[in-house]
Amino acid sequence: MSAAVITPDRPLPKPTRESQAFWDGLREGRFMIQHCMACGRPRHYPRPVCPHCWSMESDFREAPLTGRIHTWTVCHHAFNFAFKQATPYLVALADMDAGVRVNAPLHGVAEADLRIGLPVRLSFEAATPEITLPCLAAV
Amino acid sequence: MVHPLHERAAVSGIGETVYTRGTSKSGLALQFEASLKAIADAGLSPRDIDGIIPYFPGGAIAEDYVANLGLPDLKLSVFVPMGGATCVAALQTAAMAVATGVCRHVLISVGRTGYSGARASERLLQFPQFALAGEFEAPIGIFAPAQLYAPGARRHMELYGTTPRHLAEIAVVTRQHAILNGNAVMTKPLTVEEHHASRMISDPFRLFDCSLESDGGAAIIVSAAEAARDLAKPRVSIMGVAEGHPDSPASIAQRPDLLEFGLVKAAPRAFGMAGVTPADIDVAEIYDCFTFTVINQLENLGFCKKGEGGPFVMDGRIALGGALPINTHGGLLSQGHVVGLNHIIELTRQLRGEGGRAQVKDAEIGLVTGYGDMGDGSLAIMRRAA
Repeated sequence: MSAAVITPDRPLPKPTRESQAFWDGLREGRFMIQHCMACGRPRHYPRPVCPHCWSMESDFREAPLTGRIHTWTVCHHAFNFAFKQATPYLVALADMDAGVRVNAPLHGVAEADLRIGLPVRLSFEAATPEITLPCLAAV
Repeated sequence: MVHPLHERAAVSGIGETVYTRGTSKSGLALQFEASLKAIADAGLSPRDIDGIIPYFPGGAIAEDYVANLGLPDLKLSVFVPMGGATCVAALQTAAMAVATGVCRHVLISVGRTGYSGARASERLLQFPQFALAGEFEAPIGIFAPAQLYAPGARRHMELYGTTPRHLAEIAVVTRQHAILNGNAVMTKPLTVEEHHASRMISDPFRLFDCSLESDGGAAIIVSAAEAARDLAKPRVSIMGVAEGHPDSPASIAQRPDLLEFGLVKAAPRAFGMAGVTPADIDVAEIYDCFTFTVINQLENLGFCKKGEGGPFVMDGRIALGGALPINTHGGLLSQGHVVGLNHIIELTRQLRGEGGRAQVKDAEIGLVTGYGDMGDGSLAIMRRAA
């Protein structure tokens, strides 16, 4: 009998009724951000009530893929075996032009070249047939 | 007008286990060992406890206290869901309970096997407050506290020129204090060079910027001011206390200013209630899950301006003998991680004059903070009551 191969599970989002449209958008290659239908302001992560005007009416609108780096970290210690092989990996927080922030892996930038305000562009990385995750690259 | 909670509650008893990395005891047993010590320290009987605020999740809950201590008439069972800000925020809850007469003696306790049991990255995702982080951040590789808090530290460094040398100062001084305390996981001196050479965990946090995963229990008793007057030890009075919640509390990533913790909102309220300013503080026990977290809180508290926390901690200011000794017990970085209840215990010791080799001379007024749950903050200002 051969030993079982243990493959660590990568943590994956479990879309909720609030967030399903966001994750569906990523899978279709679109950056869909929740907007209040009363005051028009965007909000992220998706939630039922607008914190500005308390309207519960919202829709998801396709947002531009451009943004700028707000800050970042380089993860050297994996904490979870699923990420062990990827270390060190760079995760950036970007101020998107849509008015929300996105936290995502950043590709194609040397650590020495990182700076606040660096222009980035969002793209899409399929993790499973159902789930696509965001990632960022320098423009 | 004097705030209705000002000087109406006092810390009357403190207890802690030995802090270790490795234990054969359960978190539950560690929590009860510390609780019985705190009750004995106050000169109370376990049956006098009529309110329980345990750290949650993990460890004993009120039902366990009734069963194990035979409490005849428990009047209050509360969870304060604020992560590392829980214990100091629980001082406010306890003060409200004893000031209103609901309770006389409230026990706040922690028992955890942070080294022998579940580790931080595993524990966090059990918190309901971390549901959004679990959905949007864990999948891209951000789920441990070091990874969640590192981007704020990086931004502070980029904007204000804070350096690894500033972070190292916190680690090195805190280690010196832990050695003086004696009941500490870390027992060898740490140099700046050793800090800089320690492995990178999540940039800019190196190993020695991170707090310990350790095993231990801690407990305190908060009593009504008049009930504490005739107990075994000098009462340490709560002059001011407050909790604060940051904007976007469940996601640091979406917070307008990553460097404004809940403490920004809580500090003016607690200082106002106490009737003092940062200049009046003789000793400060600052929640130190990471070195940088101390720098950021000193700014949020008003000890220095935003961006000046790095230079502020240099040149001996935060060491024993300096103008503002910090974490005189070794903190979470070098003593042990019991979610900051050890910070309240140490401040109580300092204000009783029981600080031993780490006693701050003439310490009259002290401050303790809690920080956690991605930015919640709490603080208490205390003094030895006449």
